[in-house]
Amino acid sequence: MSGVVLDGVSKRYGAVTVIDRLSLTIAAGEFVVFLGPSGCGKSTLLRMIAGLETVDGGEIRIGARRVDHLAPGARGVAMVFQQYALYPHMSVRENMAFGLRNAHVPADEIDRRVAAAADALEIMPLLDRKSTQLSGGQQQRVAIARAIVKQPDLFLLDEPLSNLDAALRMRTRLEIAQLHQRLGTTMIFVTHDQVEAMTLADRIVVLNQGGIEQVGSPMDIYLTPRTEFVASFVGSPKINLLPVTVEAAGEMTRVRLANGAIIDTAVAAADLPAGAMTLGLRPECIRPAALDGAPLAARVQVVERLGERTLLHVVLDDGTPIVAEDSGLSAVRPGDRIGLAVQPERAHLFDADGLGHHPAQRG
Amino acid sequence: MRFGRTHPVALTLIVIAAVLMMVPLFWVLALSFKANAALMADTNSVFSLPYTLANYRTLFGDGQVFRWIMNSLIVSLGMTAGVLILSSLAGYGFARLDFPGRSVLFVIVLLGLAVPEQAVIIARHQMLSLVSMHNTYGALILPGLSAPFGVFLMTQYFRAIPRDIDEAALLDGASRFKIFWKVLLPLTIPAQATLGIFTFLSAWNDYWWPLISATNKQMFTLTVGIASTQMNFAQTEGLGFLMAQAVLAGLPILIVYLFFQKYIVQAVAGAAGR
Repeated sequence: MSGVVLDGVSKRYGAVTVIDRLSLTIAAGEFVVFLGPSGCGKSTLLRMIAGLETVDGGEIRIGARRVDHLAPGARGVAMVFQQYALYPHMSVRENMAFGLRNAHVPADEIDRRVAAAADALEIMPLLDRKSTQLSGGQQQRVAIARAIVKQPDLFLLDEPLSNLDAALRMRTRLEIAQLHQRLGTTMIFVTHDQVEAMTLADRIVVLNQGGIEQVGSPMDIYLTPRTEFVASFVGSPKINLLPVTVEAAGEMTRVRLANGAIIDTAVAAADLPAGAMTLGLRPECIRPAALDGAPLAARVQVVERLGERTLLHVVLDDGTPIVAEDSGLSAVRPGDRIGLAVQPERAHLFDADGLGHHPAQRG
Repeated sequence: MRFGRTHPVALTLIVIAAVLMMVPLFWVLALSFKANAALMADTNSVFSLPYTLANYRTLFGDGQVFRWIMNSLIVSLGMTAGVLILSSLAGYGFARLDFPGRSVLFVIVLLGLAVPEQAVIIARHQMLSLVSMHNTYGALILPGLSAPFGVFLMTQYFRAIPRDIDEAALLDGASRFKIFWKVLLPLTIPAQATLGIFTFLSAWNDYWWPLISATNKQMFTLTVGIASTQMNFAQTEGLGFLMAQAVLAGLPILIVYLFFQKYIVQAVAGAAGR
């Protein structure tokens, strides 16, 4: 079990800088998720740690060893690929044993490790089948088992759930979490799916355009997004972002929407820079309310019933679309005109540079 | 693609086409069992007794035929092995290794597909004369090893294998050669089979280059050897013997087809599908 240190690592393809002097420390045994949109550099960063991409600048250390000059097989890492990358002509057993044979592990030790990993992942009956004879879910389990048998210092998982159907994805996600608890090995998991990130990670690293936007626990990321990008990327449905002007700067900030509506927030006015602001309201902070006295009025366009909650896609009087939330048994119907109440203690403000300002105290 | 039950009309047409294809082959086989004199009088005598093995006795009586079969086997197998080894290595290089001038080199190799054998035959003959290689297996095999189609086929096949597999093997601590040998090469077996069969068949059937290079009867391949035994009026006076020669020359091809039928059909179907 080893930690990982990325110290100012960079990656360039010709004139394009994909990773720009990125530094990050991952503690031993931690489960870290690299989260970001396509093209943000998250897979490239993972591949640099694995040794599948060269490092153009900086250092990578796994445990006490500097590894960025070492071949992939010498770094003590195991990787699970998005497309599984099993050897199609080999049996499951041979797939799992291949790396151990290359490392000259004694045959009886290989047998023992393969059996233990197969038992843990419930693939014992599949050991003598070719990988091409397996379903997608089974192939994924074999890919994970192939990583486990190597007993690596570090697990790297590159969007391993993206090819599975919804039910299997949820089940495998749970199994990966249990695996991490059982093995205690450091894991780095790459995904663009924020649900995977939120449910699996000890810490999430949100990446954008080759740099780190924010590092934090899932709830830190969700509740106090450092930037507007993080706020809009994490959370489903997306946070509502509305341009506002600061109306009155008392102790707490009051803002005015383009349609003239006044919203109170719990953001300390003293921390705010001058200039244009964007109000960030997650759907669950906007609830239907009686029209009289509600700060916002809107027309309901679409009602999405999700069982435990209901999403209301509404349009404000000035035509701005936003998403609000109601209980699962909501009586709201499409076409209704409703009032909307906002929880001030959950309202965020983002300045012209995109930096977030959050309520000082949480309820 | 899997089709349902074949439509009866289509089936009938296919059977008729198959029979039409088979008729000349049976005709050749039947003629080979008739005496030359009988066929010279009337080829319709093929439909009546007597039949004879005399033509085959004459063919094998020479004794040289076995030598020519052996030569053909050595040349065909040698060329097939050489083409497979070189095409696989070159295909892997073009598909997986980054080196300066790779694209230009690949285009040059592909241009080789556009150069007909006739255009280089004199230069090739002179070159091998200079090094005194004519009438050797080397002279019969080496020119066939420049196989741009093989390099192209294997390059495309290696390119189609996901790079994730190489990378998984790299992380498993395999060397580059081990990745080629243990991981990627076994995945190209269908392409190797296709290339191997086509190379073997074209080497076996080749007549022109062995005719030019092999002037010593001991170094004749079967095609050249059989042709050398024909009389001036073989078409009329030695028809049965001619047909026996044709059967003997075609037999190994038939055997290859029977053994590798699956791969040949796959190769043809694959080519048609692309």
